[in-house]
Amino acid sequence: MDIKKTALAGTLESSDIQITLSQGNNGINIDLDSSVEELYGNQIRKVITDTLTAYGIDNANVKAVDKGALDCVIKARTMAAAQRALDTADQPDWEVF
Amino acid sequence: MEVREINIHLKRNLTKWQKFLRFNGIEVFSEKETSSIDKTFVWEENGEILATGSIAGNVLKYIAICSKVQGHGETFNSLVSKLENEAAMMGRFHLFVFTKPQYSQSFKYVGFHELAKVKQGTVLESGTPDIHDYISSLPNFNDQKESKIAGIVMNANPFTNGHRYLVETASKENDHVYVFVVSEDVSIFSFSERFKLVKAGVADLPNVIVVPGKEYMVSYATFPAYFLKDDQNVGRFQASLDATLFKEQIAKPLNITSRYLGNEPYSKTTNIYNEELNRVLPPDVEVKIIDRKKNKDQDIISATKVRAAIANDNIELVKKYVPDTTLEFIKNNWSELQTRIKEGSIK
Repeated sequence: MDIKKTALAGTLESSDIQITLSQGNNGINIDLDSSVEELYGNQIRKVITDTLTAYGIDNANVKAVDKGALDCVIKARTMAAAQRALDTADQPDWEVF
Repeated sequence: MEVREINIHLKRNLTKWQKFLRFNGIEVFSEKETSSIDKTFVWEENGEILATGSIAGNVLKYIAICSKVQGHGETFNSLVSKLENEAAMMGRFHLFVFTKPQYSQSFKYVGFHELAKVKQGTVLESGTPDIHDYISSLPNFNDQKESKIAGIVMNANPFTNGHRYLVETASKENDHVYVFVVSEDVSIFSFSERFKLVKAGVADLPNVIVVPGKEYMVSYATFPAYFLKDDQNVGRFQASLDATLFKEQIAKPLNITSRYLGNEPYSKTTNIYNEELNRVLPPDVEVKIIDRKKNKDQDIISATKVRAAIANDNIELVKKYVPDTTLEFIKNNWSELQTRIKEGSIK
């Protein structure tokens, strides 16, 4: 699936993560900004990548500003951004849940 | 604290908002700074403003949080979040902040990256596409690192024989030349028109590449400066910020080692600008100031004179300043251009 438009979800508040998705043409590229990057960077990237893959998104530029979000939050924010980016915000993809 | 949007173009709101900002050290509310504001939000408790932030195009400005707010950092994060989300709803995902150097760190903490920093202030960006996307979108050369590369920034409103002379000079003295055309649409000729005319005007010079300056080569006159004190020299600040951004973010990755400018016999503002370029760019980037080209009548060529000639319905005079490519466009759009000049901008 191709990203139709740039989309943002989430906030910069404590325990949240802000995800911005935009078109890419070279796989999934994640630019992660997190104070716990060293400990959890790879895990955060994995959750984002897995979630996008579940939507069939293979190419995307992702900007993630993490404020200590748990995996379920990262997944939820990525899903919201993905649905907006695919222009399907009114048709949730239940399979991904 | 509750957040709501206020309309600062209503007198009652404006007064209250300005009073809060003044109390927090922001004192400049010139028309130039406030007229560009699209949305303003305030965070209140019992009817008292405790924090505020505004969106003006792709710039976040007039951000302030009262010192008596507990959890200052948290409030700041939710304020920036709110502004970013609102901007996203307007389709704006690439945002800038101009602020005092001491606040740079707070913005970095919420995902902003510093583009340039000078004594009086700093400019940061967040979102997408960013400066790295911009640089990688520009054409480059196999021999980039070994080449002698020059840069020219121009508004070209419109492209004249003077611009042509500047580009030609750089073309002769360098292996490659990047011509950056200011992207902002605040001129009589629209960006796409200016860009097209520059391209057409240098099409025969194979080592010249014409690219859009995007948000990174802003016409320095539009940089926000509301956070400066009245006694600080706004023009000098904006020029040094622009020069630093060019040096660090543009020239360095592209291996640009010189920048060509036309000297400025008329405008004091442009002279200050050239002085700042001279102060900031060397030794990494050499500044080459080229004397303005004169036409056969020993008359200095300038785009201002071209626009004046159009306004005065004098096509014969226009011919003395511009190349055929520009002339043809002007001829074909004669009455439209006259209307635009009369109205003072592009509609």
